[in-house]
Amino acid sequence: MKRLNNTIKIYLGIISLSLTTYACAPEIDSFESSAGSDVDFTKYIAVGNSLTAGFADRGLYLEGQQVAFPNLIAEQLKNVGGGTFNTPFFSEEQRNGSGYLQLKSLTDGQPVMEQVTSNLAYREAGKLTKYTGKIHNYGVPGMRVDLAYIPQFGALNMYFERLLPEAEVGTKSYFDFVTTRSHTFFSFWLGNNDVLGYAMNGAYENPEDATTTFTSVTNFTNGYGNFINTLTTNGQKGVVATIPDVSTIPFFTTVTTARLQAGVEASTGGAFDEIYISTASGVRIATAEDLFTLSFPTDTLGKTSNGILAYGLIPQNPLHDRFVIDKDEVAEIAGRVNAFNTVIKQVAASKKLAIADAHAYLNKVKTTGISYNGINVNAAFIQGNAFSLDGIHLTPLGNALMANLFIDAINLQYNARIPKVDATKYRGVKYP
Amino acid sequence: MHMKKLLLSLLLASPTLLFAQGSQVNTQSLKAVGMAGAGSALFVDEASIFYSPGALAKMDGNAISIGASAIMYRSAFREYNSTEIHETKFKITPPFSVFATLGPKNSWWKAGIGVYTPFGGSVDWGTDWPGKYELNHLQMRAIYIQPTLSFKITENFGIGGGFVYNVGLVDLSRSIPVTMADGSSGQANLSGTGTGMGYNLGVHYHLEDNVSLSLSYRSKVVTKLKDGDADFSVPPSLAASFPNTTFNAELPLPASFNFGISFPASSKVDIAADATFIGYDIYKSLDFDYADNTPVLQDTHQEKKYENAFSGKVGVNYKTCEMLTLRAGVGYVYTPVRGPYVSPETPDNNRMMASAGFTYLLSDKWDLTAAYVLQKVQARTVTNKASGLSGTYKTNIHAPGISLTYKW
Repeated sequence: MKRLNNTIKIYLGIISLSLTTYACAPEIDSFESSAGSDVDFTKYIAVGNSLTAGFADRGLYLEGQQVAFPNLIAEQLKNVGGGTFNTPFFSEEQRNGSGYLQLKSLTDGQPVMEQVTSNLAYREAGKLTKYTGKIHNYGVPGMRVDLAYIPQFGALNMYFERLLPEAEVGTKSYFDFVTTRSHTFFSFWLGNNDVLGYAMNGAYENPEDATTTFTSVTNFTNGYGNFINTLTTNGQKGVVATIPDVSTIPFFTTVTTARLQAGVEASTGGAFDEIYISTASGVRIATAEDLFTLSFPTDTLGKTSNGILAYGLIPQNPLHDRFVIDKDEVAEIAGRVNAFNTVIKQVAASKKLAIADAHAYLNKVKTTGISYNGINVNAAFIQGNAFSLDGIHLTPLGNALMANLFIDAINLQYNARIPKVDATKYRGVKYP
Repeated sequence: MHMKKLLLSLLLASPTLLFAQGSQVNTQSLKAVGMAGAGSALFVDEASIFYSPGALAKMDGNAISIGASAIMYRSAFREYNSTEIHETKFKITPPFSVFATLGPKNSWWKAGIGVYTPFGGSVDWGTDWPGKYELNHLQMRAIYIQPTLSFKITENFGIGGGFVYNVGLVDLSRSIPVTMADGSSGQANLSGTGTGMGYNLGVHYHLEDNVSLSLSYRSKVVTKLKDGDADFSVPPSLAASFPNTTFNAELPLPASFNFGISFPASSKVDIAADATFIGYDIYKSLDFDYADNTPVLQDTHQEKKYENAFSGKVGVNYKTCEMLTLRAGVGYVYTPVRGPYVSPETPDNNRMMASAGFTYLLSDKWDLTAAYVLQKVQARTVTNKASGLSGTYKTNIHAPGISLTYKW
């Protein structure tokens, strides 16, 4: 009987031992990260425009800054020797920064937006609270390759002004501001606004506004090449990104000619069903190949303007050039984007930099869409998950996918193994 | 003795005979669990209702047994190119079984009823993992109710069969990629019950030198879920697109064919082996048919394309004395799930099993049986065809159990 008890004790022992192991989930081989060859991620800086800054929903605000793709990259770089990464965050108190758009309701399926006006970061009209701490994310909304060399731009752009010490406002160029930071690695994504500023203004250069200039290929080549040369002076490595085609973003693909026609036909009881636009080659009826901007005030259609009736509905009163990029302008802009991207790829190849091909990636998002872990990501406005409410900038999910595009490029170029971002942690557009 | 050697060498040489059981965790008889699932030919008792209905008529008296197990199923996942490892929450699934027999002593027939849970499980990945748009949690259980009749054709040969009525319960949730005002994802919750019917048949044969053979067949049971509840947590502005509605679905539970053999290795030691073929290829897809459809809420069709599965198990039964019997076993199960269809519901792969157990005679009326089986599902790196989720799964299953039998 004693032997029996002992046997039972042994069995109970085995069972309780296994009960204690229940909590231990199975062990999976861990990911072996590697910095690859010849790269030093110790001090990573991000050079770029609104996309680099984390601008979204037509504003720069804390939540967007926190999920800016360079910040997500920097977090992953910590696995391969990356150091701290400082961002000119707005304070918690001023978390809504410049203010931004949010979705108020969906009325008959149409989005109704409202501007967030609380907890803003303005110290006076048009001027944001200064940031004085260390910076690694140098993203400045509105920055361009051409304007990066203009010291006066610091006084005109409130996002750049915010970063500059008072004495350097209007006297220090963005180029000088960011190329003196003893970085070891960089990401560089400029050039978008060199075409986008022009395109967003309906492919209309406003002589009063330098941000609507259509940068020439020569100016771009010189400005871009010089910037990269300077950033790689000490042999630093980095990643650059190509410029997406403007027709991939919902800002230009949501208000379509067909939608406008349908709206006009419905509201005029069928009296009008065409939209007239003014182009370089004269006034004509808009076709599906002409792109209207998301900012086009559709309620002005058919109203009296300049004393003439039926704005946009009759050839005598066509829409202003600045609300539409007609098909010739679309082709002109696409050609310029391609020329810029050729320059970017050449410069990157000559310096052995990684290339994140955002142009190809966003084309894919637009044409076939992307399926990511059960999420359909495409370029549709609001529902597409990739673009925020301004139709230009990325959602947090879009930023996470962009970070992965950059990480893939770095891994490929430098034979590194930087772990990827889990993009399912990041949201699309918030619905009310 | 010559016969035994022949059979043993046959078993070792021919792996197809060793395959048994499916990817389900079978815990109907804790005696069999102690032998990693083998023993359909060896044990002639009330649990034969499930394992070998042909053996039931060979029982001398009658018995009722109640058993329960605690299946602790733990999976881990690491997304491809990620450092983060995600684990399912600790959940215990308690399958139970009740078997009772009825009939005259030492007669040519025996009747019995079994209530047991051959399929079921609970897996909870939570709402914060890369596969959340595939699955948050799944709870599934099939309860089989099986009245059975068994007859002795000769002293050595028994035949039996039963009718199976199944009640199935399913409860699952998954995240929906729409963002609520607080930044979290929406969620779909589906739950329902369904019923199905099937049968089982079996023969059991004793050779002269105590070698026993068992053949049994369990039919497929197609469980139809009708008017299950589909609830959606989505932002109020999207509520019209995701109306709370009902759904119909069909879950085919596979047929299986089992061959078991047992023989004494000495006066105190018996060896048993079972091979099972499971007709999982009827599980082609999982379809949800919603009563209300909207442009974003469409009926879903998930391909499963399961293959037939095999398993093999070998166990040892050692009577240390009149009162205590010890058991141990090992087994191997081939998965029915193909790589591109591996999903968080069943991150399956081939698995190895090892078990131990005992039966202790409390009195001449009462038996206490306990067993423990560990199943290690091998690591599997897959890319799901539907979602694109890519990574490595690994699963351990611990299942201790206990049962009590009263005999008269």
